[in-house]
Amino acid sequence: MTSTEVYLENTVLGPKAGGLYRHQNFGTGLISGIVFGFIGWLIGQELLQGSNWGSDMTVTVTCVGWVIGFLFGMGAFNAVGRWILGRDEDHEDQLYGAGVGQGWKRYFKFCTDHKVVGIQYLVLVMTLFGAGGAMAMMIRTQLLSPHMNWLSPQSYNALVSIHGMVMIIATIIMVSGPFANFIMPIMIGAKDMAFPRLNALSFWVVVAAVPPILGSFFVGGVDSGWTTYAPLSVQSFPGQDMFAITICTFVVSVTVAGINTLVTVITMRAKGMTMGRLPIFVWGSIIAGGLGLYAMPAFLMAQSALITDRVVGTSMYAPAQGGAGWLYENCFWVMGHPEVYVILLPAAGALVEIASTFARKPVFSYKAMVGAMMAIAGLGIMVWAHHMFTTGWAPTLANPFMLTTELISIPTGVLFLCMVGTIWRGNIWARLPMYFLYLFLWNFIIGGVTGIYLSDVPADQYFHGNMFVTAHFHFTLLGGAMVGAAGAVCYWFPKVSGRMLNERVGKWAFWIIAIGIQVTYYGQFLEGFQGMPRRVVNYNPLFQPANIMSSVGAYTLMTGWLILLYAIVHSWRNGVKAGPNPWHAKSLEWQTETPVPLENFLVDPVVIRDPYGYGEEATDTSQLTPEPVGAGSVSLGNEEGVL
Amino acid sequence: MSSENIEIDEFHEGKREEIAKQVDPFFKGGPIWKRPFFGVFIIWSFMTLVGVLIGLFVPVHVLNGSSSSQQDSVKLTIVVFTVIAAPVSAVVYGIAAYSLFKWNKRGSGKSDTPPEDGLALRGHGPATVIWLSISVVLVVILLFWGMMVLSSEQTQQGDAIRLQVVGQQWVWTFQYGSTKITSTQLVLPVDRQVVFEVSSKDVTHGFWPVQLGVQVDANPGFSTTIAASPNKLGKFDVRCSQLCGLEHAYMQTTGRVVTEKQFEHWLAQKGASPKTIKTFTTDAK
Amino acid sequence: MSTTEISEAGQHEGGGHHESPRERHKKEHMALWLFIGGDAVFFALEIFFWFYLRTLNVNGMWLGNACSKLNPCTDGLGNPITAPISEANGLYTMGVAALIIVSAIFIWQAEIQARSGAHRKATTPLLGLALVFCLVAIGLQIYQFQVLPFTTIDGAYASLFEFFMGSNLAHFLLVLVIAVGLFNRSRIGKLEHSNWYQAHLGRLWSVWVAASATVLALIATFLA
Repeated sequence: MTSTEVYLENTVLGPKAGGLYRHQNFGTGLISGIVFGFIGWLIGQELLQGSNWGSDMTVTVTCVGWVIGFLFGMGAFNAVGRWILGRDEDHEDQLYGAGVGQGWKRYFKFCTDHKVVGIQYLVLVMTLFGAGGAMAMMIRTQLLSPHMNWLSPQSYNALVSIHGMVMIIATIIMVSGPFANFIMPIMIGAKDMAFPRLNALSFWVVVAAVPPILGSFFVGGVDSGWTTYAPLSVQSFPGQDMFAITICTFVVSVTVAGINTLVTVITMRAKGMTMGRLPIFVWGSIIAGGLGLYAMPAFLMAQSALITDRVVGTSMYAPAQGGAGWLYENCFWVMGHPEVYVILLPAAGALVEIASTFARKPVFSYKAMVGAMMAIAGLGIMVWAHHMFTTGWAPTLANPFMLTTELISIPTGVLFLCMVGTIWRGNIWARLPMYFLYLFLWNFIIGGVTGIYLSDVPADQYFHGNMFVTAHFHFTLLGGAMVGAAGAVCYWFPKVSGRMLNERVGKWAFWIIAIGIQVTYYGQFLEGFQGMPRRVVNYNPLFQPANIMSSVGAYTLMTGWLILLYAIVHSWRNGVKAGPNPWHAKSLEWQTETPVPLENFLVDPVVIRDPYGYGEEATDTSQLTPEPVGAGSVSLGNEEGVL
Repeated sequence: MSSENIEIDEFHEGKREEIAKQVDPFFKGGPIWKRPFFGVFIIWSFMTLVGVLIGLFVPVHVLNGSSSSQQDSVKLTIVVFTVIAAPVSAVVYGIAAYSLFKWNKRGSGKSDTPPEDGLALRGHGPATVIWLSISVVLVVILLFWGMMVLSSEQTQQGDAIRLQVVGQQWVWTFQYGSTKITSTQLVLPVDRQVVFEVSSKDVTHGFWPVQLGVQVDANPGFSTTIAASPNKLGKFDVRCSQLCGLEHAYMQTTGRVVTEKQFEHWLAQKGASPKTIKTFTTDAK
Repeated sequence: MSTTEISEAGQHEGGGHHESPRERHKKEHMALWLFIGGDAVFFALEIFFWFYLRTLNVNGMWLGNACSKLNPCTDGLGNPITAPISEANGLYTMGVAALIIVSAIFIWQAEIQARSGAHRKATTPLLGLALVFCLVAIGLQIYQFQVLPFTTIDGAYASLFEFFMGSNLAHFLLVLVIAVGLFNRSRIGKLEHSNWYQAHLGRLWSVWVAASATVLALIATFLA
């Protein structure tokens, strides 16, 4: 075989390969979604309106029509149809499905190649952060002055609510979407995910889920926060129905992605890749995936009951007819707390990889690290009612939940131990990804400690519902997890894009982001201490200095993120070309070519050791190196299994 | 310093002793100011000092006044927790910062080749055990603190006055127990426990008398209870802490803590007969 | 293994590159159990909702008992409710459960046949029956909406009862899709040899649906 024939992506396919997929793409998805949405609108208006169910029914059925139509137009259901008809895909169809022969167009199609899905997720995440960020800037602008009339209460409440939910969606997928998809299969030596079509589905389902929540602005928005507590949410504008459909749709994506991740890691590891040799990032991804699988059905339950309450008049949450707002709150937080660990764990895992690579040291206490992540996930399931300390729901349960919540600080402390233990006595290579690790350490301590304040029930009676809570979770989610995601982007940028990220610009972005985070959220801690509630369009003039501080910080932060975005986009197009392993790291994704071949490895890798052999073997050896090479000699990996 | 506690991968069994020598953070060779542990200690001390100073002076200045024993408790909790958090956080910051100062090669940030590998330290039993033990002790301390404060708060005294609070989009209404006086003003007698029975007529609101240091949600269909012990005369803010719709931001009022005499006078002004006032203020439920 | 060896090892079904049917089966099996796990969380919450609202009986409105002509309650839309409602007819509820159980049993039978190497003539009629019973279950469930002595606005019991019915419909629809697919594939001979595992997966899902629907039916009928 010639060298070009070795690469599966160079296969020339027949004119019929792929079948229906040949004609389906984002455009047909949009058109189909709009058509089905319109049909849904007609059904809602004409057939169902007469039963006094009102515009909620119409809006809901329209959104359902949109989701089904979009996915149908993208080709998401092709495989189901083929299976039912017994017309299975042949090898050429599968290659077409993986994007062979389509060039850049495959990024706009239902493409099963996990690397394409990873990049699609990356773009989606950046778009969502852009939308959510724009909303945040509007909120912070409104809050510059105590009696600002720029935004009406309705607009403001809608912005606050939708900003929150869009950001939650973005943060759930920000590391697992791009990197558990692109990098993780390569990291374990697999050719793709266990279910490539489900992988593509999980991406396009999120795309389908986004227009309803953004469209809700047009029908009154959402006025009950991202948490949409009942019974307020039962009575809200039709925007609430669109929000609920977004959630019910998004839940499918996270569930499917979690299953895919778990099955891939459990069944598709390369020969020699035992669970004990897995990179910590993979552990973080599967633990988060499993946690999401537990949490998302709770979200589905909470929101589907909300839909039926609104659309067909059930009374799960309306006390006048036997329902209870507390039922919603419990169900929501059963999801809501584990969900923040779904957000955090992949990011923390990525940062541990960064710590090891850029301190040139093994991970400190691998087993403790894995145990800590499992403990965080396990305990995370048992703490939800700390969000309900002041609801009056079950005062006798205050102490048990305070206990479980404070217990989480123990495995979180172990997480810190492993991170600083990895850095300690390393030789620090101060490249950009390492900067983000340090920022994470700084921010997440503050976020975690302020969480302890909130877990103290008496103190929570002052802090609940005030800006202190907002500052706490922004420190942990933005200052912690999102900073971790930024680090992951900088770390894996050379592998994903084939180019080096401009670090000079990146470091400017970093410092502006770092300072922006501090100013923005110290301002909000101040607001909270002073007694300012959350989600208020206007406030007591007493809080103005703190608000100005926070808004100035927010503008700074926004600038930092935009500069980082500029660096990413510019370097992607014009950056210095990267070699396969610019960080001289040892995990499997760095042992294959850049750009990564379609099936990731040209020869099936055989793993000999774990990816943390720093200080134990020479530079440029990896998990595949068969023998420890004597110190001082440098091997560029011509051994078996490495290109 | 025992070498059994160090985890080394199978390739380096034979190098165990060598690695053990390098691991020791107390690093018995050399003068004390050159030992890594000492460097960390310096940074730690400095950060702890800053943190403790912040904890002692900042919260009490920015917290917006206190009008009850519960809020006094909250203030104390914040100060204590911050003071405890300072040395704990400083350990992490100290180790991380020292590592950066000591083991970062100058110019490495611009270099394309990595520095030499660091120490092949895969774990350190005593460090992990100490870290875990301290975490557990801290959690136990925090837990006991919280439980003790909580139980003292939740005890309802026999001579507490009981007020009904009703939240409604977007106004707070207060009914003064058996006097049946209803008002949108909240007036409380000083040095007397008040038990709020809180409910809502429509959606969930958050009844938050800020400087009283307590809050509880107002839920439709249920009544929830919270007790406060105002101990200082003056005004306090009542805000809504749970997003309740369009005018959530405006759902606030100003409460007052007055003397017992002024309180009875106020009730009388509102139309309560002397007899009902007496029953209300002496009623032990 | 070279590419040619692998491709001769068995049929390629579905996605994936160069994996044996056994490997495929293992993955799909695991994925299905994980999915059932997620659905089990949803199922547990449905039950939690039922018992939570039943125990609290907020405003006496679990069975709408607090309402009467003298004290008419109103639903969230302003319509008066004047009489306590009566419970649903358990025959329909249990009937729906029985039908889906039968459907699941037929799929199970088909799996056993396929696994022991039976010809499509044996498996196809069984799957056809499974399909029919699933359709009838769906039909009866839809019909039950018509004959309920209450509507969704009549209190918490009524709300949850109808929620359970809707949940059944969603789950049965998935069983239907699987039954249709298995039936058709059996008919054209694609359920033979190592493909019996597709019937196995179908069986796992339909048995789970039947079991969970039965539990919900029992709760809704006997613990109203």
